[in-house]
Amino acid sequence: MNILISFENGFREILSHKFRSGLSMLGIVLGVSSLIAMMAITSGIERGSRVFMEQMGGLELVRVVDQEISNENLEFWNLSPGRTLEDARAIRESSSYISHVSPELVEGLPVSSGTETMRVRVTGAWPDYMGVSTNELAAGRFLTDLDESLANRAVVIGDTIAKTMWPGMEPDQMIGQTLFIQQVPFEVVGVFILYMGETERKAASNDKKSPPTETRGSTSRGSWDPFRSKNESVIIPFSSMFYEFKSGAFPEDSLDTIRLNDFNIRVADLGNFRLALDEVRRIMTQTHREVDDFGFDTREDWFDKMEKNIRATRISGGLIAVISLLVGGIGITNIMLASITERVREIGIRRAVGAKARDIFFQILIESISIALMGGLVGVVCGLGLIHLITVVAPSDNEPFITIASVILSVTFAAVAGIVSGIYPAVQASRLDPIQALRYE
Amino acid sequence: MALVFLEDVTKVYHIGDQEIRALNGISLSIDAGEFVAIIGPSGSGKSTLMHLLGCLDTPSAGKMEICGHDVTKSNSDKLSEIRNREIGFVFQSFNLLPKLNVLENIEVPMIYTGASSAARRKRSEELVERVGLQDRRLNRPTQLSGGQCQRVAIARALVNDPKIVFGDEPTGNLDSSTGQMILGMFRELHESGRTVVLVTHDPAIAAVTHRVIEIKDGKIERQYDPRKSRS
Repeated sequence: MNILISFENGFREILSHKFRSGLSMLGIVLGVSSLIAMMAITSGIERGSRVFMEQMGGLELVRVVDQEISNENLEFWNLSPGRTLEDARAIRESSSYISHVSPELVEGLPVSSGTETMRVRVTGAWPDYMGVSTNELAAGRFLTDLDESLANRAVVIGDTIAKTMWPGMEPDQMIGQTLFIQQVPFEVVGVFILYMGETERKAASNDKKSPPTETRGSTSRGSWDPFRSKNESVIIPFSSMFYEFKSGAFPEDSLDTIRLNDFNIRVADLGNFRLALDEVRRIMTQTHREVDDFGFDTREDWFDKMEKNIRATRISGGLIAVISLLVGGIGITNIMLASITERVREIGIRRAVGAKARDIFFQILIESISIALMGGLVGVVCGLGLIHLITVVAPSDNEPFITIASVILSVTFAAVAGIVSGIYPAVQASRLDPIQALRYE
Repeated sequence: MALVFLEDVTKVYHIGDQEIRALNGISLSIDAGEFVAIIGPSGSGKSTLMHLLGCLDTPSAGKMEICGHDVTKSNSDKLSEIRNREIGFVFQSFNLLPKLNVLENIEVPMIYTGASSAARRKRSEELVERVGLQDRRLNRPTQLSGGQCQRVAIARALVNDPKIVFGDEPTGNLDSSTGQMILGMFRELHESGRTVVLVTHDPAIAAVTHRVIEIKDGKIERQYDPRKSRS
C-alpha cells in the first residue's frame, strides 16, 4: 500500500477529529518544545562560555596557586619561600614552553582623578600581563620593561575606571592624565577597550544612538557581569606596586621575596600543555626547595566543570522531555485504541475488499506517526516561541540559540514516540476478523 | 472450467462448549459465466457459504478452490489477495466508507493492488460513469440514496476487474423498484460474461438467475434452473 496515501488518510483522520487529536498531541507538543528549548539554552550556555573563555585568555592560561602541603612535607613548610618573583624569573629564563609569565601583586586602594574617587583592586604586574590573557588597548600603550625596572608611576586602566574618572572624555584624551592612587600620582599611559559579552555587543551594535559606553558605566543590571573585574582593572608596574604600597608592612619583604597575590602563566602551544606544566613544576620544585606548596589551576578544570554543569542541565531537561514524550505516547496509544473501536466496520470493509492484515497495521501505525509528527512540528514552533519568550523575559549573556540538529533530533523523538505508541493499537486492528468486523454495528 | 469448486466442505463453529455445524458436506461447482442464486431461510448456512465462497473464511474440512487457488491451503495474506483481485463484493448494507467520496470509495480495492493514484482515478471515473453517477462523484455516501449507494458498491466491486461478483442480499435494503434496477445491473454483468453469484432469501430474485442452489441445515437441498421449472 502506498505510503503517501496512508499519510494522506492519516492526516484526514486527524483532521476529522480536530479537538481529540489536538488533545492527544499535547504531550508530544510539550515534550518536543521543552526538548528544543532545553537544547537551545544549553547550546547558548556552551557558546557563551566559550566566548567568555576566549576573552578571559583561553585554555592556554594557567594560574599557579598555593596549595596545601602534603603530610610528608609538612615539617619543611617554612623552607619554601612561597610564590615569589623568583619563580617568575626562573620560569621565564628556563622554560621553553611558556610564552608569558605574569606575577601579580594586588591591593585594594582608593583611586582618584581629583574630582572622582573610587576604591578598586589595583594590580602590580609585569608587561607580560598584557599577553597572558586576552587584552586590547583602546588608546596609548601598555607597561614596558623600562617602566618595570625604573618603577615608573605609570598606569593602564580599564574602561569602567576611565569612564568614571573622566566622564565624557575620549580614551585618547585620557593619555597623560594623572590618576592618584592613594594620593600617589600616576600617569595614565594606556586605556583598555570595553570588554563585553555577546548580548551587550549585539545591543551596542543595534542601538547606535546611545553608545555602549554611556549605557554601561559602572551601573549594572543587577546580574553578574563576568567582565566587570576586567573593565575595572588598574594596572601599574610590579615594582611600583611593591615600592609604593607594599614595602612598609613587613620590613623583611623585598621585591624578590614578597609573596605574590596572583601568578598566571601562558602555555605557548596547547599541544605541549602537559609537557609545559611538568616543566614548570620541575622549575618551581627547585625554587620552592622541594616543598610541594603550589599547584596549577587550569582552565581545563574549569571547562570540565562547565561541561559537567551543561551535561547536568541536559540530563534534567532531557528527562522532562522524555517523560512528556512518554505521556504523549500513552495519550496517542489511548486515542488510537478508541479510534479503532470506532472504526471496526471500516477495517472490516477494507479487509473484505482485499486489504491484508499488514495493510491495516501500517494504516494505523502511520496514523499514529502522523499525530506524533504533527505534534512534533507544533512542538518545534512552540519551542521557538518559548525560547523567544525566555530571551525577552530573562535576557542573559548566554543567549539561547537553536541548532538544526536539535530540531531534527526532537522531531525524530516525536516520530519514534509515534511509532512506539502506534504498534499496540496497530497490532490489535490488524488482528480483527473480517467477518466479525463486517457484522459489527 | 470450474471457477468455484467445493467438495464435501464442512464449517464448524465453536461457541463456548457448543459445536455448531453451519455447513455439513457441501459439494458444488460453478463454471465461469454462470448466473447463480444461493437461497435458503435464515440459519440455513447460506451466509457461511457466502463467506467461504468470498474467501473471508476458510472451511473446517473438505476441498475448496476459487479461481484455481486452493483456499484450504491459503494463508490470510493469500486470501486477501484473492478477495482483492478475483472477487467483487456487494453487500446488503452497502458497506461504503463514510469519510470518502464516491470516487475514493470506488478506488479503495485498487489501493491494495498498489496502483498509482492516476491509474486509480482513471478507473474510478470510468466506473462512476458506467453506474451512472457522474454528477455525484464527489459526494459522500451519506448524501446518496440507497440505490445510489449500491451502485457505488457495484462499481467498487468491479474496480479490479474480478472474475466473480458476489451479491449478499444486494437488494435487501432497497425498495422494490430500486431493487429491480440493481438486479438489472447484476444481469447486465452476467450478460457481459462475468460470473455472478447472488445470496438471497427471496425466491423472486432467485428466479432471475439461471441456477438456484437451495441450502437447508447446512446442506444443499436441491439445485434447479428456474427458467426450466417455470416453463
